[in-house]
Amino acid sequence: MIAPRHGLMLLAPLALVLTGFFLLPVLMMLPTSFREYAPGTGIAPGVWTLENYTRIVTDDYYREVIWRTLGLGLFVTLACLLLGYPLAFLIARGPERWRVPLILLVIFPMMLNLVVRSFGWIALLSNRGLVNNLLIQLGLIATPLKLMFNLTGLMIGLTHIYLPFMVLMLVAAIRNVPRDVEAAAGTLGSSRLHVFAAVTLPLSAPGILAGSILVFVLTISALVTPRMLGGPTYKVMATLIYDEYMQLLDWPSGSALSFALTAMAIGVIWLSSRLTKRWAGMA
Amino acid sequence: MTSASDSDDRPGSAVTMAALAVIVFLQIPVIVVVLAAFSTTSYLTIPPRGLTLAWFGKVLSDPSYLSAIRMSLILACGSTAISLVLGVAAAYALFRKALPGSEAITSVLMAPLVLPAVVIGVALLQYYSLTGLRGSLFGLLMAHVVITVPYIVRSALASLSGLDLAVEEAARVLGANGFEAFRLVTLPLILPGLVAGALFAFITSLDNVPVTIFLISANQTTLPVLIFSSVEMGIDPSVAAVSTLLIAATGIILLIAERRFGFHRFV
Amino acid sequence: MSALSFERLGKSYGEAEVVREVSLTIAEGEFVSLLGPSGCGKTTILRMVAGLVAPSRGRILIGSDDVTALPPNKRGLGLVFQSYALFPHLTVFENVAFGLRRRKVSGAELGRRVKEALARVRLDAYGERFPRQLSGGQQQRVAIARAIAPQPRVLLFDEPLSNLDAQLRDEMQIELKRLQRGLGITTLFVTHDQGEALSMSDRVCVMARGVMQQFATPEDIYHRPATGFVASFIGKPNRLQGTVATRDGQGGSLRLGTGLILQAAHIDAAVGAKVDVVIRQEAIRLRSGQPEPDALAGTVALRSFSGARVQYVVRLTEGIELIAETSSSGPDSALDPGTPVSLVIDAGSIFAMASEGAAA
Repeated sequence: MIAPRHGLMLLAPLALVLTGFFLLPVLMMLPTSFREYAPGTGIAPGVWTLENYTRIVTDDYYREVIWRTLGLGLFVTLACLLLGYPLAFLIARGPERWRVPLILLVIFPMMLNLVVRSFGWIALLSNRGLVNNLLIQLGLIATPLKLMFNLTGLMIGLTHIYLPFMVLMLVAAIRNVPRDVEAAAGTLGSSRLHVFAAVTLPLSAPGILAGSILVFVLTISALVTPRMLGGPTYKVMATLIYDEYMQLLDWPSGSALSFALTAMAIGVIWLSSRLTKRWAGMA
Repeated sequence: MTSASDSDDRPGSAVTMAALAVIVFLQIPVIVVVLAAFSTTSYLTIPPRGLTLAWFGKVLSDPSYLSAIRMSLILACGSTAISLVLGVAAAYALFRKALPGSEAITSVLMAPLVLPAVVIGVALLQYYSLTGLRGSLFGLLMAHVVITVPYIVRSALASLSGLDLAVEEAARVLGANGFEAFRLVTLPLILPGLVAGALFAFITSLDNVPVTIFLISANQTTLPVLIFSSVEMGIDPSVAAVSTLLIAATGIILLIAERRFGFHRFV
Repeated sequence: MSALSFERLGKSYGEAEVVREVSLTIAEGEFVSLLGPSGCGKTTILRMVAGLVAPSRGRILIGSDDVTALPPNKRGLGLVFQSYALFPHLTVFENVAFGLRRRKVSGAELGRRVKEALARVRLDAYGERFPRQLSGGQQQRVAIARAIAPQPRVLLFDEPLSNLDAQLRDEMQIELKRLQRGLGITTLFVTHDQGEALSMSDRVCVMARGVMQQFATPEDIYHRPATGFVASFIGKPNRLQGTVATRDGQGGSLRLGTGLILQAAHIDAAVGAKVDVVIRQEAIRLRSGQPEPDALAGTVALRSFSGARVQYVVRLTEGIELIAETSSSGPDSALDPGTPVSLVIDAGSIFAMASEGAAA
């Protein structure tokens, strides 16, 4: 055993760095979110207000952005689940020698620079992009389809980016389903489809939930892809925060939005951990 | 492995086809970027109208790209190294249960993963503006330590948890002092997991835009931020060329890590 | 090689006292076992000796040096772990060399001493292998070689044989004993297996709930247990409930079941007290045929053959069941259930102590 004194010495450097460069900066944003914005100068001196928060729920534009962000999170999560499950199933249950190559093909895009991947989608989806060119060349359409700067573009791009996370979580979950239990259901007369629906799917539910939460939280927090594929006008919360800080210099409003986004992310994680605990209690 | 070889249990052909289609979907943007980098036209066509290496030449002779690449590498190497030292020390203390409340401490160390990166970015923007660290290399480096250190702590904790405590005790009884026991026994045993964690940290730093973009100075930017802002200006195949360089680097690192350490086991 | 002694050694975790005031001295070159059930404090004592756990009270001396406050690396001990704790990333040679290198032994001297230690455990040819390429028994021997290579002052064993299968365990017991005699190193051997402790040790220290029960030769431990706990822990005991009928010096008489009166030489309770009664199976002599004068009468309820020995479950007329053990080659080795038998029990092998729960 090592003494508490030594433990403290080992832990202290990281604790100091995280306090100084993470906790303190985030906490210092809290007073800013209750200040009033003065155009030109930034923060109006001496005035305290709740308006930055009330505006988030009352202002139509902010509400639209928040609903869009949450909707995007939901759609991307569902899309990742639908696309990810068959692939995860093949990796977990398919031929042994396919496993590592398939996993590497999933990890590779995940490790790849986010900006590069988003750039790839721009090259595909823009008005003069590959998809539109191809469709026009084939004579299927006359004018380019609008695939970017809207929900479609963000959906495609974000699904592509967070799909690997979902697949890896699902692979772990499916591999954890005991084969004996499936075999037992089989011997009791279940068809393969019924075994899947009655045993495999419910038993991999914790992994499905964990993967979904991860993808949802990452999606609502994303800045780079929404900015690159959504452009300066089609905004989500993260890009709105970016603009408040960088374009409008409205730090009070930006910090209030930041806390709102953080609360949404942590709230979802908290809810899911409650749910997981309840499931664990049932098992 | 009770019945893994039963052909009856294998995914059906419909599942296999769907899965392979998803694999292709995952690689599409990569393929497109690489093709664009070698294309003579400034917009993409399939098949490409002609092949050229001109865009690579343009990137590698462009001082703004070169300095951004340099900056990115400095930040990624520096923050990974600092995170390794800080993160492994902290994880080791947590693993040996040297302090009460290790679970609470762990969740604090992991917090930078939970918070949206853009929030960390704007928080540091305000903090650095007040403390005068904005635009400084030190400030950027510390920001990157904050976002990379959870990966190190996580992989170190995972590797340590698989360790037999008696092995280190054996080293102690045989005459090794505390640090020697760690260096000669524990460290070599957790090394593969640490390499995987360090790789994740390195890539995370190299990849980062949402924190970095708020903190860089006007004349010193990183590669992803530079690509990010050039795309806002309009697409240019040199972006594809520099992206292709990144793709190649990532692919090579991934393959080496897989060969040497079986990287996929740590993901 | 030095003597090892504990002076009023104690360890508490918060309120829980896991080792209480243990004092004993192990002579130079002696082989001593710490024997007891899990949770008796024996492993804690070993870890305090090794320096892996700090004592709450008392002192540990190696020879005349007080090592109580020294870190493990300054104690000059050898320790063989239950899990062997070999270094998986090092070859067998490097495992054995580890302690020597820490003592700044190098070059030809290092090679010679590693080879010598490996030769002692008959693994000379395995230096270049890695631990995972060896069988459990071979790994065990590497662990022993690693512990003895630096010529420790004291050798410690923490249940080293518990991960081996039965046959290998018997072989290792003899090999270990021979090795220890050959080296003459003072040895402390922790085990929960009485067979191991009795067969290998010069002296055995029996522990229960952190308290030393008896520290004596294996013969004394077996034939002359000092406490009821030792009597019930060693050998194969029958455990019965009864009350104390009369007291007479150390012993007296006990009442069991519906009125069986037994003379016992060791009673640890007052007249009228409820007691746990321990009677060794192998201390009961069983005869078929005519009942002898002062024998107990009963019938065979069940016979169980286990190789060299046969066990009989005997139902006495007073409604009590006793298990008696005899040789499987003797005259009464094949009695059928229902056969009337008589049992003779020596008063010296009957122990009675206050009932569990009545007193600690």
